[in-house]
Formats: sequence, C-alpha cells, structure tokens
Amino acid sequence: MSQPVVLVPLDGSEQALSALPVAKVLSEIESAALHIVYVGEHEPAVDEPGVRLGREVPVLEGYTIDARVGAPAAVILQVAAEIKPRLITMCKHSSPEDGKLLGRTAMKVLQNAPCPVVLVPPERGATPWRLHHILVPHDGTPSTSAALPPAADLAQRGRAELLVAHITNIGAAPAESGSFTTPFYVDQPQHEWPAWTSEFVRRLACVCPLGHLHVRLFLAHGNPAAEVLRLSKRQSTDLIVLAWRGTWEAPRAAVFKGILREAQCPTMVVRA
Amino acid sequence: MAPTVDPGWIIVEEGFTLTREHELESLFTIGNGYAGSRGSLEEGSELSAPATFVAGVYASEPGSVPCIALVADWTRLSATIEGNPLRLGQGDDLEHRRILDMRQGILWREWRHQDGAGRITRMRTLRLASLANRHLLVQCVTITPENYSGSLSINGILTGPVAQVTINGITIAMEVASRVMDHAGHRTRAIELIDGRHNVELTMGKTYRLDRIVALHTSRDTTEPHDKARGHAERAIEDMAGVIGEHCDAWRARWKTSDVPVDGDPAAQRALRFAVYHLVTAANPRDDRVSIGARGLTGTAYKGHIFWDTDIFMLPFFILTYPEAARALLMYRYHTLAAARAKAARLGHRGAFYAWESAENGEEVTPPFVIAPDGEVIRIFTGEQEQHISADVAFGVWKYWEATADEHFLVEAGAEILIETARFWASRAAHEEDGRYHIRGVIGPDEYHETVDDNAYTNGLAQWNLEVAAQVVRLLTERWPTECRALSRRLALEPDEPRRWLRVARDLYTGFDEQTGLFEQFQGYFELEEIDLAPFTPRNAPMDVLLGRERIQRSKIIKQPDVVMLVHLLWERMPPEVRRVNFSYYEPRCGHGSSLSPAIHALVAARLGDTALAERYFRQAAEIDLADNMGNAAAGIHIGSLGGLWQAAVFGFGGLSLSGEKPEHNSNLPRSWHSVSVRFYWRGRRYELVVPEGIKEIGHNP
Repeated sequence: MSQPVVLVPLDGSEQALSALPVAKVLSEIESAALHIVYVGEHEPAVDEPGVRLGREVPVLEGYTIDARVGAPAAVILQVAAEIKPRLITMCKHSSPEDGKLLGRTAMKVLQNAPCPVVLVPPERGATPWRLHHILVPHDGTPSTSAALPPAADLAQRGRAELLVAHITNIGAAPAESGSFTTPFYVDQPQHEWPAWTSEFVRRLACVCPLGHLHVRLFLAHGNPAAEVLRLSKRQSTDLIVLAWRGTWEAPRAAVFKGILREAQCPTMVVRA
Repeated sequence: MAPTVDPGWIIVEEGFTLTREHELESLFTIGNGYAGSRGSLEEGSELSAPATFVAGVYASEPGSVPCIALVADWTRLSATIEGNPLRLGQGDDLEHRRILDMRQGILWREWRHQDGAGRITRMRTLRLASLANRHLLVQCVTITPENYSGSLSINGILTGPVAQVTINGITIAMEVASRVMDHAGHRTRAIELIDGRHNVELTMGKTYRLDRIVALHTSRDTTEPHDKARGHAERAIEDMAGVIGEHCDAWRARWKTSDVPVDGDPAAQRALRFAVYHLVTAANPRDDRVSIGARGLTGTAYKGHIFWDTDIFMLPFFILTYPEAARALLMYRYHTLAAARAKAARLGHRGAFYAWESAENGEEVTPPFVIAPDGEVIRIFTGEQEQHISADVAFGVWKYWEATADEHFLVEAGAEILIETARFWASRAAHEEDGRYHIRGVIGPDEYHETVDDNAYTNGLAQWNLEVAAQVVRLLTERWPTECRALSRRLALEPDEPRRWLRVARDLYTGFDEQTGLFEQFQGYFELEEIDLAPFTPRNAPMDVLLGRERIQRSKIIKQPDVVMLVHLLWERMPPEVRRVNFSYYEPRCGHGSSLSPAIHALVAARLGDTALAERYFRQAAEIDLADNMGNAAAGIHIGSLGGLWQAAVFGFGGLSLSGEKPEHNSNLPRSWHSVSVRFYWRGRRYELVVPEGIKEIGHNP
C-alpha cells in the first residue's frame, strides 16, 4: 500500500503559504507525504518554487515539489487525479476578493476535488498550527454524518478531542428520513436529555467507530453559523469539519457558507 | 399464516435505513403487559438496541434511581449459509420489509438476500408475545434456498443477561425450546449442537422452519420459576400452531372491544390502531402490582417510571374498553398507598402524596437534577412540587367507579385512595388572612413555571378530590355501613373530616375571575411577559430551549394544557362560555413542549366545535411517534400521548359524554372523517357509538 499524500497547492503568493503549517501537521498525523504543487500561469524560473518556499524548506523534510503551468484549478485537480491525495490543503484565497466566499481557484477545487479539502484562512500566515480540538457541526441528518468519519479519524490519529455541535433554530424539522434533531417534546427533562444525548452519540458511533475518542456534544440555539463560530472561538477549536452536499442553495448552504467565510481556523470540507 | 394486507392494520418499513433503527425498534415492539420486546433485527446491526423488559422488574444501582431492567435477549438469531453470515448490507438485499401487524399482534419480517456467490435465500420471520398466555414469547423463521442447496447453521442462543437472573430480589427465568421443521411439516434431523444452535442441510426450493418458544416466569409469579419456564417451553413447542392461534384469537377478541374504525381518513385510522395496539401491549389485567411507564415496555427512556400519564391519559381507554386492565392499574396505586402516605408524612402532611415518578413500590424516584446538553445543571423540582399527581390518581379511581360501578373495588381500595388523597389536600392547603385556602409552591402540568402559588389545575382538581372524597364517605355510610365503619377505624377517620374537606374545597382559591370567565393559571400569571409564538413557527425544538429557561419562566408561554386540562377533566362543572374563553386564551400561548399536549388540544377544540383546529392537533399528536424525520421514538413510544389520541377521537370527535345516567354523544367529526365508531362498557352494559348515527346498547359485560 502506497504512502498517503497531502496535496498543497501554492501559487507563489504569501497568502498561499498559510496552508503549509496546517498541511505539515496533517501530513504528520496521517503519516502522509507532503506533495506541493506550484502552479503558475507561465513557466517558472528555475528555482522559483524553492525561492518562494525558502522560509519553509527546513521544516518540510520529505516534501515533493511539483511545478506546473496552466489554469491553477485545472492543474490542481489534474494532480489530485494523478496522485489521489487523502487531503488537499490550500489557502481560501491568495488575494482579497471583496464579498467572495473563496478565491476562484479554491472554489473550483472545492467543487471538483475527489477528496476532502482543508481551506485555510490566509490571515493565519505562517503561524505554527496544532490540532487539539476538532469541531463538527451536525444538524441531525444522516447526510451530515459524512463529516464524521474523517473528523473522528483525524481526532483519533492526532489524539485530539472531537466536539460535535447541534444547533437548533426556528424552522421545520429536516425532511430527510432517519434524521435526529433536538427533541420537539421534552416531557421530562430529567429523562429526555440523557436519552437524547445518548441517542445522538450512539448514532454518531454507528457512522464511525469512536473507540476511546473523547467526544463532547454541544447543544445551542440560534443562527447555526453564528453559533458554530461562537462555539469554535470559545472552545479554541483548531479545525471545523463540514459536510457539504455540493450545492449553494439556501438554507443549508447558507450555514455552510457562513462558517466557511468567517471561520478563523482552517475548515475541512467533506462531500456528503 | 400471513401478514395482514389491509394498510389500516399495518405499519410497514421497506428497505433499511440504519439511523432509523432505534425508532423502528420502539414502534415495532411486541408485548402483552407482562413482557415487552423491542423490534430489533434478529441478526443485529451497528445501531441495534434489542431489549426485553418484564413489567415491574427494576434494577437499582447505588446512587441512582431504579430503571426498568433488561432481561436476556431472546430475539437474537444468527444464520450462516455455507459459512457466510446472513446480514443486512452484506451481499444484496433484494427485498426487505418489516411489518407490524397490529390486527394479529405480530411483527413480521420478509427478506430476500443474495450473497456474493449468487445464492438467493428467502426468509420470513414472525415474532409475538402471546396475549393468550403472557409467559410465552414466540419466534418462527422460515428459510427457502431459492437457487441452491447447501448447509445452514442457525444459532439462537439467549444473549445478554443469563437465562436465569435475579434482579432486585426477583428471579427471572427464561427457557427456550426450539425445533426445525422441513417443508412437509416434519422435524428435520437437525443436529442441535448446543442450546439453540442447529445445522440443517437445505434442499433447493424447499422451505424450512425454525420454531422457538421462550417461556418466561419470575419469582413474583411462582416459587420455582426455572422449572416452570422449562416445563412450559417444552410443552408449548409441541403445539406451535395452537400457541399462535390462541394468541391471534386473543387479539381478535381485544380488537372486538377496542377498535376505533374511522371512515375517511386512513392515516388517522392507522394512528388510532397504533395507539390501541401499544396500549394493549402495555397492560396486564392479571397483575395488579405493576403499572405502565411513560414509554410502556418499548424502551429504557424514562426508566420505566410511572407518571400521571397512566391515570389521566391512558386510563380512560382501559376503563371503557378493558376494565379489568384498568382495575389492575388502579390497584397498583392502591398497593403503593403506603409509600404515598410516607411521602406526605415526610413533608409534614397527612394523607397520601403520590410519587411524581414511581417504580416497583411507589416510592419517589424522580431524579433530583439533570445536566442538559448545553451544560446547564437543571434542578428537578417535580418530585416535590408536582403535587397534582395525588388528585390525578383520585380522578382515575372515581372515573373507574362511575363507569363500572365496581363496588368491590370501591369498598376495598378506591375509597381509601380517595380519602387519603383528600386528607393530603386538606392538610396541604393553608388557611390565610384573606379567609381562603391556598396551595403555594407547586408545579402544575405546565412545568415551565415552577414553585408557583395556587396553580389552577392543582387547586381545581384538589377541590374536586375533596368533594368527591366527602361524597364517597357518604356513599359508604349509606350503602356499606359495616365496611365503612371498618375502614374508618383502620384509617382513624374522624366523623367531622368530610365536613372539613368540604369547607376547604369551598374556600380554596381557584383563580377564577367572574368578570372574564378566565382562570388565572397561577397567581401572577397575567402579569408575565406576552410572547407571540407565531414567529417561532415552525420549529423543531421546544420553546424553553429556544428562549432559555429563565426567559420562559418570565413569560406566559406554557408547556402543555394546564387550565385547558382542567376544563377537559371537569368539563361538566364548567359553563360553556368558561370552557370557550379559557381555551381561546390559553391555546395560543401553549408551546406544546410536551407530547401530551397536542392530543388534549385536539380533544377540547373538537368538543368546542372547532374541528379544523382539532384535526390539525390530532395529526400533530398522531405524528409524534410515527413521523420518520425527528427520531422522537428512539428510546420508546409516547404511550401517554397515544392514550390522549384515543381520547381525542372518542371524547373529542366522537363527542362521547358519560356525565349523565346514560351515555350521550355530540358529533364533532372533522371534515375528512365520514364516521368513527367505538364500543365501550358502561355500568354493566356494552354500547356502540357510531358517529354521526348515535349510541346503541349491544350487550352486557361478560
């Protein structure tokens, strides 16, 4: 079995480098090789990637640099198709685009990636990253559970704590069969809440084995994106893992977009 | 034998959605009031939670409240074909369907499975808890190898707790007898390797059947439960057809007295039969030391504890259609009087203060606090403050007496409950400077508001309790003077006590405003913050979660009917205008945070003639367990709500009134219902109400 790979696209900008500390830790946790793809619109100078990466090279032993020319997103996806990475870790955008959720490249990669994508806010810069707390927002639908296996796997390998947030809000119960939301009826809280918590965790455990993983379940109410971000800040989470159905339609995508846009920590997106 | 086909009698789950397993296990529970078994998959799944419960058997861990105990899982079966396990999701599931056959009281499963080698196996399983002989649990599996011949290994060893176990001093013995029959109905030469495991050589196209009977006896029923169970299982396995036939006959007889046929609304029809099915599976007329927990015998939620749900929400169904079961439930309250007296005495009161949550012996078992998922530690006051439970028990006693005229019960047990609960109220109510009696520091049915003074429901029902107790003493004195003297001596009943009860009742503060016709739910309620619920609709969380506990306590939002509940129970005491204004005031302020709420709103709305609103609430109540997108029923069905649903159909839409000398009715059918009918017992006679036609007498009590 070949060694897993974490793919890190760079484009020569300072912002793009913010993905490196995150990719480095993730590759260590995954026992994966780091595959850096440098993509430019034109042929790079002989040592351009090395020059650009100069600061980082000492801490990135064992990495591979792959310099390519072409439309960035297409090239990144081409490389991903070739090397089948476990993760793609990249900066959300390399240059500020007002009002845009993600840069054009990141958006295209996210939409077409064959694996989970970790999006790193450029504001992180080169600050070292660690993985102690992983937050998974869960709306109680079976499809959202897609975020759990990679999150739990990362938490187990990285000995991190898994935090699961269920946010209630005004609105109808999800139509998806098998959903498990906040109980509409709490006949007796002394019985209902322990039963609900136990059921929620058991449903998580049936999606992915939790083993000895430390899982904490949080229930909050309000705007889901705002509550997840608030909880993320309060719990100092290092990574938010989101399940995405591949559409941008409201209302669910509104939560997804809200978290993706505002999260101060990296966000891993897993296709539901 | 085959499953019922009529969709009005069956709940069907096609395919397999793993995350629904816990709900389905609750919905598909089989039971007979003695035992109940969740409808888990025989071979299990990642989310299976098989459980079998024996009514009245609780396990107690030091430092925690008792919880209904799990006994051995007798439903577990694992089968392999040529060494390959038959499991859902392994290979191709060509067909998979589970059917709760409510008419026959059977859980069916039909499954066609193709393994990796292309072998197609057809299986059908049947599972039941005999209603004819409550100690028997039955499982049959038919297996047909459609396109191959090969070897089958099938293993049905009891799993979980051992077959004989002692829990809280009660020994539970389970014995299994099994056999394998070939296509001609003869026992095969199957080799029983060890208890419950068989190897069979299958011939293509032939059908084989594994029969298993589990006999379940406890030391509460017999001194030798193990011997009794073994003998029982061995005899029963020789007459499987007879065992199943008698069970089906028992269900047929039960439906004859309990069915509520609805014409015009198939969903309502199915929901009502679902309600009746689970009510019947939870009750055992032969055991008066047990009652029905808030989730029946369908799950561990609520720990099997018994609440007012039984007395107020379920009991009317049993009183009118299954009076012997109603009597047993009331006798549980009689047997637990000692604990209720001790609780009252502990708090410095006389009489009987029943446990808000009770288990095997009636002692208070309400957990004192809970940690909510948001981390908040919630102190639970219901055990001390939800005192209306005593009047609720008394209410059930009196309704049973009114409906059955069961003199023996009244004299031997019912009167004592009525007297002791009245005594509690007489000592609990405090005479104050305004010349009125007040009951302060309680929680009414609306549990959003704690430690309130003069809750309308509590005081209204206490007043009723005091008056009825005085009435029953008068009745005993007149009709059974000898028994009355004996009871008075035993209870040290003083001659002027009934007069004092009536004085307290007369002067008890009720919160009723003559000008508006409104009851104030408790003192100060009208000054609370008004919050419009419309912007919070629809929602999928209760209002106390959305607003927070502190805010909700400062608001007029209520959790469930409180004054409206009083209107429902004391309907005949309320002038029509009082019923109407109170419903109109409180209904828009109800957040329905309790599963008991929608059915009562349906009932009262129907009786007030608002059938469209009633129908909406009825549907909401019907979906509490049957909707497939909220997971409400994962840890057990809401049997109190099911009792409420039955009441909404019978007293609400059917308009059945039992306040006079003869049953009367007033048609309140919703637009989609063409008719509804119900058969019931009333004072020694049997009646049939067909709405809109009318009521006719159809016989006497058996």
